[in-house]
Amino acid sequence: MSRGPARKAFWAACLLLCLAGFLVSLLAGPVRTTPGDLLRFVRNPDAAGAAIFLDLRLSRAVLAFLVGAALALSGAILQGYFRNPMADPFVVGVSSGASLGAVVAAAIGFEAAAFGFSGPGLLAFLSGLGIVSLVYALSLRRGGFKVETILLTGIAAGALASALTSFFLFMRSDSYDQAVFWLLGSFQLADWGQAATIAPWVAVCLAASLWLARDMDLLALGDETAQSLGCPVRRVRKAFLAVSALLAALAVAVSGVIGFVGLVVPHWVRILIGPGHRALFAASALAGGTFLLYCDLVARNLLAAELPIGVITAAVGAPFFLYLLHKKR
Amino acid sequence: MIDDLGRPLPRPVRVPERIVSMAPNVTEILFALGLGDRVAGVTRFCDHPPEARALRKIGGLVDPSVEIVRSLDPDLVIAFRGNPLRLVERIGKLGLPVFVLDIGEGLEDLPRLIVKIGRITRTEERAEELADGLRRRFEAVDAALSGLRSRPKVFVLLYGQGLWTCGGESYLDDLIGRAGGTNVASGLPKKWALYKRERIISDDPDVIFILSRSSADFSTGKAWLSGTAGIGAVSAVRTGRVYELDENAASRFGPRLADVLDRLAALLHPERFGGTP
Repeated sequence: MSRGPARKAFWAACLLLCLAGFLVSLLAGPVRTTPGDLLRFVRNPDAAGAAIFLDLRLSRAVLAFLVGAALALSGAILQGYFRNPMADPFVVGVSSGASLGAVVAAAIGFEAAAFGFSGPGLLAFLSGLGIVSLVYALSLRRGGFKVETILLTGIAAGALASALTSFFLFMRSDSYDQAVFWLLGSFQLADWGQAATIAPWVAVCLAASLWLARDMDLLALGDETAQSLGCPVRRVRKAFLAVSALLAALAVAVSGVIGFVGLVVPHWVRILIGPGHRALFAASALAGGTFLLYCDLVARNLLAAELPIGVITAAVGAPFFLYLLHKKR
Repeated sequence: MIDDLGRPLPRPVRVPERIVSMAPNVTEILFALGLGDRVAGVTRFCDHPPEARALRKIGGLVDPSVEIVRSLDPDLVIAFRGNPLRLVERIGKLGLPVFVLDIGEGLEDLPRLIVKIGRITRTEERAEELADGLRRRFEAVDAALSGLRSRPKVFVLLYGQGLWTCGGESYLDDLIGRAGGTNVASGLPKKWALYKRERIISDDPDVIFILSRSSADFSTGKAWLSGTAGIGAVSAVRTGRVYELDENAASRFGPRLADVLDRLAALLHPERFGGTP
């Protein structure tokens, strides 16, 4: 209960930062625009303003927010799932696996579409799910997990997936920009269509994880304890694994591989509001979206040429990861 | 009109007024067609003719800013196949008229490209003239080289990033052939390829061209060739037939390729062009 006021402050700060992030995203870009320009556009919409403010900048900010929310939520789920604070879709290989699926789909010209997903999106989901199941199976030791085994298995599986991704990209030698996109991520191509495709799925995944959050709290006590407390452990685990893979695949399908968001954000959130999973999931989604919104701002405004966003998230996330590893010892 | 991606674009009724060029060779051709004052935006690599440098930059070839392109309010965007396709599509989704062009695989494609750009910019006459002029210059080289008995083996070195050379799919390969030489890397089914040092030694090229950005670049490249084990002994280096080739002109599929062809032919067959180079 003592966390009440702190929680309120956290939510308020997050919302405020998020709104500020959207506002700055509307104003900052390679074409110089002032708050006055934006106000004039709001009062008096014109085609040029609509293209720059709405079609390019707002759609991109919304997509960055959705992807950040998806990645952070996926990370929060995986950390609970593996009972390991160092799991995230990048570290356990889901992101790299998903990106491999997308690149293979593009290479073989797999064009089938279902549930609003393109061929690459579908294969991204399947291979992301495949990789995380593989990591799960390989690091399972007599009903428990060892931190090192999961991390190393995930890193190895992820490295293998990105090596294969690079191989497929290299075979189509015209694909420097594709390589950057699939290996480091970018929101350069953001449009409303992409945002509209993933938004409902992110919402469904968020709702599902909030609904199952109580079971995740029980899983934290160990599978046997959870089972004895009435949690259908196997089914819950399967559901969470699918949700986290779906979230990571959604993110990868529209923006390539963006590392470390799913790792650092749930951590910050857990430190600030405590380990209860319902609040953790909701807050991670909001904070992750906000975090990636700001990272994308930096990525597109720091230099004249646009930086891949994975460069920014890794620059922030990798030192944090090192700090965690060090603190663990 | 149909662009090189097979997509239709209505032909403008008059000469476009605000053209965005997404490639250096396109910029060069637009200026050659007298459209320089109608070019609103270019890439940061568009440095020829020098006037192009003062124009608004939209970014690079693979990272143009969609936002800047939109803000220029163009009535024609000319992209090429080296631009990321999805980015080109993103620009099209904003409702801007985008026309995508291929880079040619041979010299014959150049006049065709110019005529195509002439048609989409409604400067047909000027384009036909320019294209005919180029064709005549190519034919003049063909005539001067008719009935050749020997075709020197040529290696083209893009100095600076390892042994990059032009493969069989590059228009430079065609250019070397037209100039009366044989590209040793012709068998590689690529535009640009990384060549193995051993292959150069066993190929033993008679002439080496170094694509250089400056004469300083050329001297470093030449010194590197003669100082590298094995390569110092190939015919071209021993007989001193290592020549500079202007990287800027040779790497753009534009009108200056006619100058490059003249230079290649004169250096490969000095006997046909009145004397030693």
